[in-house]
Amino acid sequence: MTRRTALVTGAGSGIGALAAQRLAAAAWDVVAIDVDEAGLARTARRSPNVHVRVCDVTDAAAVDKIAAEAGPAQRVVHAAAISPLAPAMDQPLEEVERVLRTNLLGTLHVVRATLPAMLAAGRGELILFSSLAAIAPGRMTSAYAAAKGGINAYAGSLAVEYGGRGVAIRCVCPAQVDTPAYRRQAAEHPAATGNARGMHAGVVLDAVDRSLARDELFVFPGPTARFASVASRHLPRTFRWIQDRYTAPAD
Amino acid sequence: MTEHADDNKIGTCSNNRVTTELHTIQGEKVALPLAVRDASVASAMFAVPARAAQAVIAYSGLEAAAWRGRAVCSLAFVRYADGDLGAYHEFAVAFLVRHPDRERGVGAFIHWLPVNQEFTLEAGRSIWGFPKELADIPMDLSSRIKRCAVRIGGRTAIEVAVRPGPPIPARGGEPAVDAYSCLDGVTRRIPWSLRPGAVRTRPGGATVLLGDHPVAEELRGLGLDRARALTSSSVGRLSMTFGGAEEVRA
Repeated sequence: MTRRTALVTGAGSGIGALAAQRLAAAAWDVVAIDVDEAGLARTARRSPNVHVRVCDVTDAAAVDKIAAEAGPAQRVVHAAAISPLAPAMDQPLEEVERVLRTNLLGTLHVVRATLPAMLAAGRGELILFSSLAAIAPGRMTSAYAAAKGGINAYAGSLAVEYGGRGVAIRCVCPAQVDTPAYRRQAAEHPAATGNARGMHAGVVLDAVDRSLARDELFVFPGPTARFASVASRHLPRTFRWIQDRYTAPAD
Repeated sequence: MTEHADDNKIGTCSNNRVTTELHTIQGEKVALPLAVRDASVASAMFAVPARAAQAVIAYSGLEAAAWRGRAVCSLAFVRYADGDLGAYHEFAVAFLVRHPDRERGVGAFIHWLPVNQEFTLEAGRSIWGFPKELADIPMDLSSRIKRCAVRIGGRTAIEVAVRPGPPIPARGGEPAVDAYSCLDGVTRRIPWSLRPGAVRTRPGGATVLLGDHPVAEELRGLGLDRARALTSSSVGRLSMTFGGAEEVRA
């Protein structure tokens, strides 16, 4: 069987880890990237086809080097992100910049390092993880939502400029996902997160897999994200009422 | 290599002695009970002629559980994403069997268990005597219809498709099953517990295509290429534990 190579960022935990493990189970060669070395080791445990690389996606040169070493990837899953919660006027500027550098510029670095080879090959799957917050921001998510909104716009631009050249581009916008990071946030900010239980990361990845059989740029996994994507646009007052009912500004 | 490391920590053997078992696989220690934290499964059960099923599993010394001349053969395909044996795909052919030492209840005899990764191949054969062999096992567990193929040496042994049923409410709890294996003339019992979530099930709903592998020939002899499934199921999230194997005199 022909070996296929995938590059997965944020592979130390959560969606990225599960994406790497599922691809490894399907016998892909997986280049797994994260800043969390211990998390990468857990993801790759007893899976020799997972090759771990400790790397911060804010470092464009480091991302370029890993992508070049990996060779042309058939699938890129970019899930690396951070999401510190704070009210917009209280969040330190350094933290806002860190969120924008990691989530938005990190996405640009990964795309610029991997998309040209996929376009040259005339095939590939570029999966960029955004968030429902990009179009329906919640409380205390201003920097995160701004970065994710930027990813949506960037993905839209990529589709305009490079669509139809054999590379499937997907921008995935899930609601809360049950990851270690989200569990910590929900415990720390129960009112702001509305005590919402995150959906299983597998449900998100199933939606991504199904989307690859269709021609759609934006993927809203699960009924909550699908409803919110429509309601926030067409019924903004109703959507805001629901948000106010289920979340509160202070914990 | 097996070590009984500690008599007071975790795991339960059939004689109620609590043990931790350690095995060395490819230079790594594997501790039992073994945990699978995230798997997905699709499966189908078929009623097959009991006499033919008994002939297939006769080598184990076990007796196929039969009602009115029919036994139950199960086909399942599993994606192990997060577990102690790494990430891999697996296909299973199993039969419901009577326990050799109990009047009531049934166990699952694992007749064939191809996998697509070498660590689990070695662990499965040496720790539990599971009849694992290496194969290409492409599968799609994300789509509405779940599909799997088993290919060995570039030739297709079997293809299975499972159509979706309605969701089944979670019952809670952790059902326990005895799995049985037979490798190199040794029949073993393996305690196995499961915690399923996102379960769907329905009557019928499975399609089976058989290739030219010896096991496919056996399944053809059972009529699986034209049988209607009793039930088909999918499990979106499954966690499991496997205890240590115990030799049984069937």
